[in-house]
Amino acid sequence: MDSLAGACVITRAIGIGLVACRTCGLVTRRLPIPSPPTSCPRCTTLLRERLPRSAENTLAWLIAGVILYIPANVLPVMYVSGVGGGEESTILGGVLSFWRAGSWDIAALIFTASVAVPATKFLALGLLVWTVHRGTSWARRQRTSLYRVVEIIGYWSMLDVVVVALTAALLKFKALGTAEPRLGIVLFCGVVVTTMIAALSFDPRLIWDMEANDGH
Amino acid sequence: MSSCARELFVCPHCDAVHRAVVLGRHEVAACVACGRVVARHHSLSVDQLLALTVAAALLFLIANSYPLMTIEVGGMHTEATVWGAALLMLHGWAAWPAAVLALSMFILPLLQIALLLWVLAFARFGRRAPGFRGLLVALHRSRPWSMTEVFLLGALVAIVKLSSWVHVTPGIGIWALASLTILLTILSMVEPGFWWTLLQAHA
Repeated sequence: MDSLAGACVITRAIGIGLVACRTCGLVTRRLPIPSPPTSCPRCTTLLRERLPRSAENTLAWLIAGVILYIPANVLPVMYVSGVGGGEESTILGGVLSFWRAGSWDIAALIFTASVAVPATKFLALGLLVWTVHRGTSWARRQRTSLYRVVEIIGYWSMLDVVVVALTAALLKFKALGTAEPRLGIVLFCGVVVTTMIAALSFDPRLIWDMEANDGH
Repeated sequence: MSSCARELFVCPHCDAVHRAVVLGRHEVAACVACGRVVARHHSLSVDQLLALTVAAALLFLIANSYPLMTIEVGGMHTEATVWGAALLMLHGWAAWPAAVLALSMFILPLLQIALLLWVLAFARFGRRAPGFRGLLVALHRSRPWSMTEVFLLGALVAIVKLSSWVHVTPGIGIWALASLTILLTILSMVEPGFWWTLLQAHA
């Protein structure tokens, strides 16, 4: 298949009246445009050539994610009390304490999952929505790859939520030490969920849609 | 549906139409337009897939009945299980992330294993499982939200984090979780289209 790249004209399903099912992949002929979308004969999913209002939905979920991201990083995610009194910690505070303790690898891991991954998703999805809105033909292949990266890194941001939940479940010695989740972790979980929905709302086929108009 | 449509494959990422090909051993099919890997060869038979799923079910049971880790402070000890970690947060405002955790780390992986067991057990005898269509749609929809591997990494980070304060012992649960993660990864490498043609492939 690969050897044909560049040597053949690529046909798009939408151009020849075909539609592929989003759930099971079955390819069927689409009824002419005025008729409403039909259901997939194999899995009954509603067949749509493109997800309706995909760019708008992605942008809306993305904005919700950015709004949650700021307090999620500023507010404490966990409260740990010990013999010498209590202490609240933020995500970045946790990264710093690992760094100072010499565990630079764990610090890098948490920083990547909790700070870098959401930031990458905001930038990448923002770029994709903006370029699709402008209808540019610039770097189609690379932009599709970028979407794939966003899909793959998606859920790794849940890492810190898992760490806080497990720490809170384990540290419950009344006098000697307890750990409790704080508001930051709720907002952080919100960031992960909203950015995942944003990525799932984006239809990467839109990247390829303006082809007919720009002389390729 | 025309008969020719069955032999066509459309890339889900760029809508390019391809003629479906039969892949040989270790072969991978990539989209000519966007480069996405659209199909992977796998030589697993229904029997082998069923065996992997049964193993995954047993490991899931072990991972949830034995502690992931135990910590000790001054003679007292506490343990954490996958289920217990989510359950403990299920009060007050922390219920929200706890529900997401319970869903993504426990309920959805369990649902996926159960669905595969059901569908494969019937396919083993050349029969279409009751509710086949709805169950496969559920399997497909729940896939992005199933996060066993994230839980495994989170548990390892928690062990390192806690070991700086208290004495932590990794439990049987964490080994079961690690093995389960590997099996679920193998099962998820089977492309979605395969499950739909399960009975044709077997016949």
